[in-house]
Amino acid sequence: MKFRCLILFVCLLRLLHAEPVEILLVATEAELQPLRSKLSAPRTETHAAWTFWTGTLAGKTVALSRADGDPLNAVAATTLAIRHFAPKLVVTFGASRAHDPALHSGDLVVSEKFAAFDGMVSPVTPIGGGSNPLQWQILPHALMTAGEQEKYTVSFPADAHALAVASGLSIPHGRIVVGVLGSAYQINREADRIAWIRQQWGTSCEDTESAHIAGCAQLLGVPVTGLRVIDGADGTAASIVLEFLEAWK
Amino acid sequence: MKRLLTLFLLAVVVVRGAEPVDVLVQGAEKLEVQEIIAALKSPVKVTIGPFSFWTGRIGSHSVAVSLTGQALINCTVATILGIEEFSPKMIVNQGTSGAQAPYLALHDIIVGRRSLDYGNFITSIRRLGEGSAPLEWRSLPQRLRDPVTGKFVEFPEGFAGDASALAIALRTRNPMGRVFAGTIGSAHEVNLELDRVRWSANTFGMAVEEMESGHVAAVAHAYGIRYIAFRVVSDAPYDGVPFYPLAARATGLFTVSFLENLPALPANP
Repeated sequence: MKFRCLILFVCLLRLLHAEPVEILLVATEAELQPLRSKLSAPRTETHAAWTFWTGTLAGKTVALSRADGDPLNAVAATTLAIRHFAPKLVVTFGASRAHDPALHSGDLVVSEKFAAFDGMVSPVTPIGGGSNPLQWQILPHALMTAGEQEKYTVSFPADAHALAVASGLSIPHGRIVVGVLGSAYQINREADRIAWIRQQWGTSCEDTESAHIAGCAQLLGVPVTGLRVIDGADGTAASIVLEFLEAWK
Repeated sequence: MKRLLTLFLLAVVVVRGAEPVDVLVQGAEKLEVQEIIAALKSPVKVTIGPFSFWTGRIGSHSVAVSLTGQALINCTVATILGIEEFSPKMIVNQGTSGAQAPYLALHDIIVGRRSLDYGNFITSIRRLGEGSAPLEWRSLPQRLRDPVTGKFVEFPEGFAGDASALAIALRTRNPMGRVFAGTIGSAHEVNLELDRVRWSANTFGMAVEEMESGHVAAVAHAYGIRYIAFRVVSDAPYDGVPFYPLAARATGLFTVSFLENLPALPANP
């Protein structure tokens, strides 16, 4: 009887809480699709507006989560995925736009760190004085820490082991460059503003979610890494992620 | 058998989270939650990662008060954790803000007819030396996926505040200033250039700017949870009033009165 109760107990617990995974992969729908089609033993679950796919890729248990192209969706989905799947590593990947003029299309930027560059304070300026973003001050995110203290943080750290693994990959085009992945829900096409962002935040490139995912991972105590292909076509970063998973130990 | 059953029930509580509450009340900073925590009857502190929650009762409601921390990353994580842990029927996000409408003064409170994220944009193309023209940037709306169809839905106007909560809030006394319904805009920005303040007020209809309520509104919408935001004016750039953090006391006291006025909430569908 006790044994039957124990079995029931374990089964119900599994229903209530999904299995932990080794790696959480967060990207756009287009970047996730080629990975989703390769998942072994796939399972799908949805929480509110966010859907997750779990299974095995390259011998690793993974959860796939859609970032959906903006910080809010990316942070919400990452929080839910960390809570439900308890990954040991978060990988944010996809395409990005260069801030560093030395970067070229096809280069892979591997995260040394992340910068969420959406914070600003403008100077007091009267009506008619205009608006000049090149004179704004940066406003870093102030992540909550234990003891109810917020800590202003210009950049969030990336996992050193993942950086070493990613730096040893071979990619079809371009170079592998270690850098700062910047994100904001912005598409910056003013060259002077891009230069200003790079000067202030040290960004190598921009996308719409990676640094926010990194901030979320830091809040919840999970290591994070980022792989971003400059001007990458859909699926380019996914093939690099598969290589990364093969190499990851 | 009895011991196993007890163990199982305990495990269910641990895995599924704490007891559900009627209302999740949020503030980004300690000054923004201290009056509300002080009003809690039988308070119990719960910590999840770096985030603190205090549960108890105010009026007829069971409440979890959440110290979210400022801006999108903190408040989105804290909101998801708060919803998953406490399954609230309503979320109240409240705190300080900068006036964007010139008629607003220190300690006035805006009740969110709607809340939106106004900090997202695509710039025009400009070469080196051609500068930056923020008043020409085109806004990008917050999007959420419809959980049934999986398709994106855009929310350029943001998210409406709960109509009955709005009506009750407009009948609640602000001990330190006036109360208006209006639009609350969120971004990780402090705008003190009056031309840009006027631009965002005209473009989005914003009465005040702050850093959380539009993001929390999006999450609440995704979960189908009733939502309302209150923002007290703590700085007023038209009047040259710099940030006065103690203004948070007004919205804290206002929120306690609101909760005391709020009728019992029906169960979630």
